[in-house]
Amino acid sequence: MISVKGLSVKIGSFSLKDINLDIPEGGYFMVVGPTGAGKTIILESIAGLQRFRSGEIWISGKDVTSLPPEQRQIGYVPQDYALFPFLNVRDNITFGLRRMGNNKQQNKERMESLAHILGIHHLLERSVRKLSGGEKQRVAIARALAISPKVLLLDEPMGSLDVRTAKYLRLELKRYHEELGITTIHVTHNLIEAEEMAERMAILNMGRVEQVGTPDEVFFYPQSPFVADFIGTPNILDCDYCNDLGHGLMEAVCGGVPIILPHYEAPVRKLALLPRDVYVTTRTPPGPGINRFKGTVMEIAPFSSLMKLTIRVGEISLLAELPQDIFEEMDIKIGQEVHLILKLRSLRVH
Amino acid sequence: MNRKKTHLIQGERPFKIVTYGALALIVSFFVIILISLAAYTDTRTLFSVLVSREILFAVRLTIFTATAATILAMIIAIPAAYAISHAKFPGKDVVDTILDVPIVLSPVAIGAALLVFFNTSVGSAVENGLMRFVFEVPGIILAQFTVVIALAIRLLKSTFDGIDQRYEQVGRTLGYSKSQVFLRVTLPLAKNGVIAAGVLTWARAIGEFGATVTLAGATKMKTETLPVAIFLNLATAEVEKAVAVIFILVAVAAGALIILRKVTGQRRFE
Repeated sequence: MISVKGLSVKIGSFSLKDINLDIPEGGYFMVVGPTGAGKTIILESIAGLQRFRSGEIWISGKDVTSLPPEQRQIGYVPQDYALFPFLNVRDNITFGLRRMGNNKQQNKERMESLAHILGIHHLLERSVRKLSGGEKQRVAIARALAISPKVLLLDEPMGSLDVRTAKYLRLELKRYHEELGITTIHVTHNLIEAEEMAERMAILNMGRVEQVGTPDEVFFYPQSPFVADFIGTPNILDCDYCNDLGHGLMEAVCGGVPIILPHYEAPVRKLALLPRDVYVTTRTPPGPGINRFKGTVMEIAPFSSLMKLTIRVGEISLLAELPQDIFEEMDIKIGQEVHLILKLRSLRVH
Repeated sequence: MNRKKTHLIQGERPFKIVTYGALALIVSFFVIILISLAAYTDTRTLFSVLVSREILFAVRLTIFTATAATILAMIIAIPAAYAISHAKFPGKDVVDTILDVPIVLSPVAIGAALLVFFNTSVGSAVENGLMRFVFEVPGIILAQFTVVIALAIRLLKSTFDGIDQRYEQVGRTLGYSKSQVFLRVTLPLAKNGVIAAGVLTWARAIGEFGATVTLAGATKMKTETLPVAIFLNLATAEVEKAVAVIFILVAVAAGALIILRKVTGQRRFE
């Protein structure tokens, strides 16, 4: 178990205020928040790289607050990885092992097994300067894991990767975690990454923890306006009952509106839908009529380059967003009847 | 749009003429000076002067003193530059300014200040009890050291400034103490910068004249470093000897710059 107790840090005009986090042994915990929220400072405090005013850090039942980083047994993967450019891949991975003074054979075995799990065996003799972003990430993780740390700290591990590599490596990272069972704290500004990977997550804003919970809890029960805004202010629909339609489909009736979903095992109690995934049109759309409804425009509010429309459908009201130009082209007015299409793929179920 | 673009290109021409003209002027100035040096002497005289006792002595003395001064300077400059690069303390600007004084100050003034220091009671205690500096070889080393140490610190500081602290932080988490990280992470990362600083410092020490001549004097075959040899031989109108020494110093400078280009991968000069 990793515990951060009452951590407060002040750096210039920025401060981290009274952070409390508990991460169970073997858990995958994520710290999510916009740039400048103080995410990296939390990791640095856990690693012993940041002095702080007050608070305690506990690792596996031991107070490490006054220990230097080299005595904390922490695997740290900073943003951009900081691989040692003067060493090749193999020597980067064994850098910490050599310090530990195990015998050479043991070190070699440890390095080989990590290289195998991470799939970087073929890179061992390469210079780190010539690696791709994804390869660098795996080498940095191997280097951190080599010392058998009690916790793995990942700072924006996908930050410098292209979208496709990042998507693939998210799955890989989860696989390593399952295989090695190491307690992991992963910092990101990317909400999709957090939803996909986190067992539990903390939403951080301006040095404060706004909410801690599972991704579902955060999504369906945002506890502050900031969290709701950060996750995109979804429409949350309370569902009354469900019908199985067969063919892998089901129908959830929410406020009198029947919504078709892929089959879901537990009864659906709530649905979440982001405003940008509600399409609005004035003309009857072509194609099959799944998840299409008629509604009445109740409210129109401009929001930067978007228009936010509140639309009444049956007993529920849905928030939809459309780009300004499309809105103007369709010439929508309050009280007008419009057609809605709900983007099936982006429905979240609770 | 188009007309404006053409207009701009036309407007660039006088500017290019001025800047490239200045460049051509200064390069040809240097080349002409070197050619005139070469024209002044022939290879046979040059060679016989080079192997003369006096010049061989000056070469050996200069290499010895400059190397000693550079080693001493680097031993102090490496930790000091690291401290000034990383530390945050009140009055850091003042310390920074003090370090820059020897770079801006005339070397003669530095030499004179040292000479004055050895005339104080503390200074003469050092002279009598520890080691003689005034008009002696250790004085050359001290004079060169005082002039080049600031340069060494300045160069090394910019090297350390350019090293991302993340490397050191990762080193710490991998089990190394602060000083172990310095030796195993920081110095390897700073390697090229340290070599470059060492070479520049050494080249500067080789050419040091003002402070050396003021503190250690210009005694033939005693405190006669290469720049002092130029001075003495010009004073006695032995121009061939002076020219020979100038060629040695040009060769040293060229060698230093070639090494520098190698270690810095040319980036420094682009």
